[in-house]
Amino acid sequence: MKILSTIYKEFLLLIRDPGGMALIFIMPLALVIVMALVQDAPFRDYQELKLDVLLVDMDADSLGNKIRKSFQTAGQVNLVEERDSVVARQKVHDGEYKAAIILDPQVSATLRRKTRQLIAKVFANFGMEADTSDNLEVPTIRLKVLVDPAIKANYRQTLTSGIEKIIANVQTTWLLDELQDQLSEGKSDTKKIAFDLSQIASVDQRYAAENKFAGLMMNSVQHNVPAWTMFAMFFILYPLAGNFINEREEGSMLRLRLIAGSQFAVITGKFLFYFIICLLQFVMMIAVGIFVMPLLGLEQLALGGASTLILLTACCVAMAATGYGTLIAVYFKTAQQALSFGSVSVVILSAIGGVWVPIYVMPEILQNISRFSPMSWGLESFNDLFLRQASFGAILPNILRLLGFALVTLTASVLIHNSRTVS
Amino acid sequence: MNVVQLEHLSKTYLKTGKPAVSDLSLNIPMGAVFGLLGPNGAGKSTTVMMLCGLTRPDQGTVHVLGIDVRAHANEVRKKIGVAPQEIALFPTLTARENLRYFGSMYGLSGSVLKTRIDQFLDVFGLSEKAGKQVHTFSGGMKRRLNLIAALLHEPDLVILDEPTAGVDVQSRNMILSFLEQLKKKGTSIIYSSHVLEEAERICSHIGVVDEGKLVAAGTLESVMGQHPDCSNLEHLFLKLTGKNIRD
Repeated sequence: MKILSTIYKEFLLLIRDPGGMALIFIMPLALVIVMALVQDAPFRDYQELKLDVLLVDMDADSLGNKIRKSFQTAGQVNLVEERDSVVARQKVHDGEYKAAIILDPQVSATLRRKTRQLIAKVFANFGMEADTSDNLEVPTIRLKVLVDPAIKANYRQTLTSGIEKIIANVQTTWLLDELQDQLSEGKSDTKKIAFDLSQIASVDQRYAAENKFAGLMMNSVQHNVPAWTMFAMFFILYPLAGNFINEREEGSMLRLRLIAGSQFAVITGKFLFYFIICLLQFVMMIAVGIFVMPLLGLEQLALGGASTLILLTACCVAMAATGYGTLIAVYFKTAQQALSFGSVSVVILSAIGGVWVPIYVMPEILQNISRFSPMSWGLESFNDLFLRQASFGAILPNILRLLGFALVTLTASVLIHNSRTVS
Repeated sequence: MNVVQLEHLSKTYLKTGKPAVSDLSLNIPMGAVFGLLGPNGAGKSTTVMMLCGLTRPDQGTVHVLGIDVRAHANEVRKKIGVAPQEIALFPTLTARENLRYFGSMYGLSGSVLKTRIDQFLDVFGLSEKAGKQVHTFSGGMKRRLNLIAALLHEPDLVILDEPTAGVDVQSRNMILSFLEQLKKKGTSIIYSSHVLEEAERICSHIGVVDEGKLVAAGTLESVMGQHPDCSNLEHLFLKLTGKNIRD
C-alpha cells in the first residue's frame, strides 16, 4: 500500500511537471529522430555510395568505354563527361565534383602494346614463335585520378579500387585476346573466344543469419533507435535525482524519515515508478522506429523475432538506469552537483558504450573500456536480438551484467540513504 | 510517567567540533505542553532530532513514551508526530493529496484516512482549498497543513518546531487554539519556538537551553517563581541566555 501510494505520488508529481514530462518523453523522441536522420548518410556510405565523377576521355578508345560500362553497372559512380582536363581539375578543386578520371591520349593503345610485348616475351621464353619486333621499353601506364581534398578516405579508396579493378579486367581480357591472336597466327579458320571473366569467379556476399530474418542489417535506424533509447532511459536520472533532491531540500523527505518504516517504501516506490517510465520510454521509442522512421524516408526498425527476450533486455536496462539514477540522487547533496555529474556521466557512458558511434569503429583502448559501460551491454544485447536473432544464452552474460549493475547501485543507494537518515 | 526522559545527553557534530548538546538531562511529564526554548544554535533542533531517532547521541539515553529511542526508533516514530520548521509538503500536490500520501505512509487507508483528512481540513479551515495545489497557498495555510500532516495518525506525542513561523495573526490564533484543545485532551506536546508569548499562553512546562546545556526547567510557574525579578517569559529568557546575538 505504501509503495503504491509512493508510485501514485510520483505519478502526480510528474504529470504536473511539464519540463520533466518533456525531458522524459518529448526530448528523447526528438533526439532519436534527429540522430537517425543525421547519421543516415554516414551509415549508407558503405552500401549506397553514389559519387559524381568527371571522365575526361582524351583517349577515346576501349579503356574509356570499359570504365563507362563498369561504373554504370556497379552503380556507385555517376560518370559525367568533360572534355577539358583543366576545367575538370578546377571543378574538382571547387568541390563541384568529388573526383575526375583523366584518360590521356593513347592510353588504350599503350596498354594494348604492353600486353602484346608481355605475351611475346612469354612465347619467346618457351621457345615458341613470337613477334618480338616491338621491344622498346613502354612506360607504366598511370591513370590520373584527381580528388576533392574534402572527400572521405573511404570514398577515395572505393574509387581507386574500382578503377584498378577495371584496368585489371581490361588487361586480363586483352592478354587473353593477344594470346589467342598469337596462337592463331597463320590459322585462318580458328575463331577467337570472347571470355566473360565475371563467370570465372565472383564474390557471393550473404548475411550470416539463416532464418526468415536473414538480410536484416545495420543501418541508421537499427543503430540509433536502441542506442538513443538507452541514452534516454539512463537520462531518467535527471528527473529522478532532481525530484529526490527537491524533496530533501523542501523538507518532505525529512517528514518521511520521521515516519516509521517509510524509507523502504519511498525508495522502492520511486524505483518502480521510474522503472515503469523507462519501459514506457522504450516502447515509445521502438514505436517511433517502426512507425515514424519510414515516414521520414528512413528504414523501418526491424526487431527480429524474440519479443520476450527484447522485453527482458529492456527491463534489465530500465533497472540498471533507474538504479544508477537513484544512486546519483542519494549520493549528491545538491541538485546542481547531482544533475551536472549525472548528465556528464551519462554522456560519457553513452559515448564509450557505442551510442554515438558503433564500438567497432572506436580505437582499441576505447573498445576495451566500453566493456564497462552498461549501455554497451544493453546495446550489444539489442543488436544481438534485432540483427542476429540471438538466443537467451547468447544475451545472458549481458543480462547478468545489467542486473548486477542494478543490484549494486540499488544496494549502495539504500545503504547511503539509510546512513544519512540517522546522523 | 514521563513522556520524555533524557539522561546525560551529549552530541558533538564532527563538522563544528563544538558540542551541540552537552550533558542534558530532562524529564517531561505525560500530558504536558513543554516549551523547548533557547536562542538560535542553542541545541533545540539537535535535541528534537535525538528524540525522533534521526540523530544518534554520543552519550546518554533517550526514552520516549518509555521506549529506548536508540534501540527502537521505529516504535517511537509510530507514536510521535513531528511538524518540522520547514514546510515539509509537496508543493505541486493538492492539500488532500499531500495528506492522503502522508496518511498512507503512516499506515492509514480507506474511510479512516478520508474521515481524518476531512475533519482536520475542516478544523483548520482548509476544506474549501483541499483541491488546490500547495504552492498556491499562503504561508499561514501551508503552516496549518504542515501541522495536520503531523497529526493524522493521532500520535501520543506531538513535536512542533516553530509551528507559527511566518503566519498571520488569524492563522496563529487558529493553531494555538487547536493546540490548547489537544492539551485538554491530554496529548503531550513539545513546542519549540522563539515566540515567547505563545509559549507563555499554551505551555504548562518549559525548558530553556543555551549552548547545549539546560539552564532552566520545570513548570512555567515554578521557573518564573525562581526569578521574581522577571515580569514575563521574555525577561526571564534574556536573563538566562543573555542579550548577545548568537548567529
